[in-house]
Amino acid sequence: MDTERHGFKTLAFRHETVLLFVLVIEWFYFHSVGPRFGTLDNSYDILRHSIEIGLLALAMTPIILTGGIDLSVGSLLGLCAITFGKLWRDAGLPIPVAAACTLCVGALAGGLNASLITWLRLPPLIVTLGTYSLFRGLAEAITRGVDTFTNFPPSFLFLGQERWLGLPAQAWIFLVVAVAVWLLVHRTTFGRSFRAIGFAPEGARYAGIPVERRLAMVYVLAGVTAALAAIIYTARLGQAKADAGTGYELFAITAVVLGGTSIFGGVGSVHGTLLGVAAIAVLSNGLVHARQPREVAGMLTGVLLILALSGSVVPKMLATWRTRRQIPREIQQSNTT
Amino acid sequence: MNKFLSFSIVAGLACLLGCGKSSDATGGSSGGKKLTIALMPKSKGNAYFISCKKGADKAAAELGIELIFDGPTDPDPARQNEIIENWITLGVDAIAAACENKEGISTALRKAKARGIKVITYDADALPDAREFFVNQATPEGIGHRLMDEAARLCGNEGEFAIITASLTAANMIEWQKHIEARRASEYPKMKMVALRPCDDLKDKAQSEATALLSANPNLKLIMAICSPAVPGAAEAVKQAGKTGRVKVIGLGLPSENRRYVKEGVTDSVILWKTEDLGYLTVYAAHALAKGELKTGDTRFKAGSLGEFEIQGDNLLLGKPFVFTKENIDQFDF
Repeated sequence: MDTERHGFKTLAFRHETVLLFVLVIEWFYFHSVGPRFGTLDNSYDILRHSIEIGLLALAMTPIILTGGIDLSVGSLLGLCAITFGKLWRDAGLPIPVAAACTLCVGALAGGLNASLITWLRLPPLIVTLGTYSLFRGLAEAITRGVDTFTNFPPSFLFLGQERWLGLPAQAWIFLVVAVAVWLLVHRTTFGRSFRAIGFAPEGARYAGIPVERRLAMVYVLAGVTAALAAIIYTARLGQAKADAGTGYELFAITAVVLGGTSIFGGVGSVHGTLLGVAAIAVLSNGLVHARQPREVAGMLTGVLLILALSGSVVPKMLATWRTRRQIPREIQQSNTT
Repeated sequence: MNKFLSFSIVAGLACLLGCGKSSDATGGSSGGKKLTIALMPKSKGNAYFISCKKGADKAAAELGIELIFDGPTDPDPARQNEIIENWITLGVDAIAAACENKEGISTALRKAKARGIKVITYDADALPDAREFFVNQATPEGIGHRLMDEAARLCGNEGEFAIITASLTAANMIEWQKHIEARRASEYPKMKMVALRPCDDLKDKAQSEATALLSANPNLKLIMAICSPAVPGAAEAVKQAGKTGRVKVIGLGLPSENRRYVKEGVTDSVILWKTEDLGYLTVYAAHALAKGELKTGDTRFKAGSLGEFEIQGDNLLLGKPFVFTKENIDQFDF
């Protein structure tokens, strides 16, 4: 028992080390082919381009830990972006107020997911597949698909385009969220309950964990984070349109899974997710510096994911296969003695 | 065993990246002072832009520059910005972009300009302060005149014709129609426009409008469709009414959508610019801009084998639209 647990721990540890190693290799390779790859400017580009997806991946990690999934975050990003634009331009609200209201809309949308999942006991995949279309549809309906919000004041664009205290301004927000989610998942009883729910929801319920409340919490959190990502996205692009964040949910899920979180729940880590986000972002940026066309990035991300996942499953399978082979030998040995 | 596995993963990845490297090496190393021009389509798989690239490649080979052609492969509107920001860091000499999101992409293009990269746009413009020149594939005047000239030629300079437009309120349609009318009044006074019908940019609606036009105007000699879905729509109506040849169809559209009708003789001519020339001119202009040979205030620009082009303000004009007919339509695949 004890050795098995120990072995499992080193395995989880190893997945992240492998990923880190891959990241370092990526970095050195691109550095050797692209003279401008290693510059500070480029590192900031990578950071700026991965923050929205990074935020969504951070919010997705606790959800996947509970064995759930949220397909609606990309669409919600779009809905929140145009909500923000509408509140600022058409309702004439000052930027901070519009931003606060947008976060509330995000929380409400997350609450809708949460209530459908916890009250009606519908599978998260089905619920968020529904809200995936619903949120995007709402965004398109509000703008009739063509309205674009733009001409934001420079003080707001600062958040997405300028540097503050040496880092891109939005990186500070990301840092705070990353630390908060890490503490939540790894240093609180909440985090432990997410894993317990992921392993066995019924068991968690019998153990006295308020499963519904914990689940509601992670989905509302994802809604708020998507809204935050929407505000940063708008500041980075200087425009909000209904198609913002299309396909981001899949990038976020890819990063989480690449980071070693089991899609069945129960196992995973926030730092793994961060490494996953970084591995994908560096790959996609580095290929430009290696003068490779964009479609190669998608292909290599897929290869990376498959390799990393089989890398953490195959050793387990080999281990069981070996023990199975050893047992008859042990029996033989015990028979002879 | 586990160590071996993690090692093989890393080795595999390194191999993959290595493949990328070797193919890059065959693509020609960017040594010396070779200029690098980055060309961005609205979306990468679009046949229209693939044929633009053909012309761009030809220009790049003639000029001896390195051409990067990259653009979004997914519908994410932030992607064009990301690629441009990557190009800025990469240190390309000039960027030529066809803009999907006018306001959004301008943020990134302004940043490129601020870093000393020459920026032009083609096909779809950005905000004027975000670029130096716009390679304009067709002015409203050019389109209007070409359509009217073609109509008059087919009708023998006299007779009735009708126009099918996308909507009566669309700014570009109104602009084109204004130039069609001006050309008619000054050059072909014996031509008479009997109807102007909107089709809401729908092929079905265009077809039913054309059918109605045919029965209401027995002397109609020609239908002019000025939005792309209307051209095959009008052609289908004429074909079904059995008036092929007696009522001519012309319009503004893609050769690929109209090839069938053109070959059957229902549609006489389809008018559009040559996308290959658009790519060619764009690369030549970007190159000249990066070399300082093209400056604000110039009125003419010479682009390789295509000869001279006119510049109006900050618009570099591709010139008169091209007429696709039964004879040449098979040479174009967009």
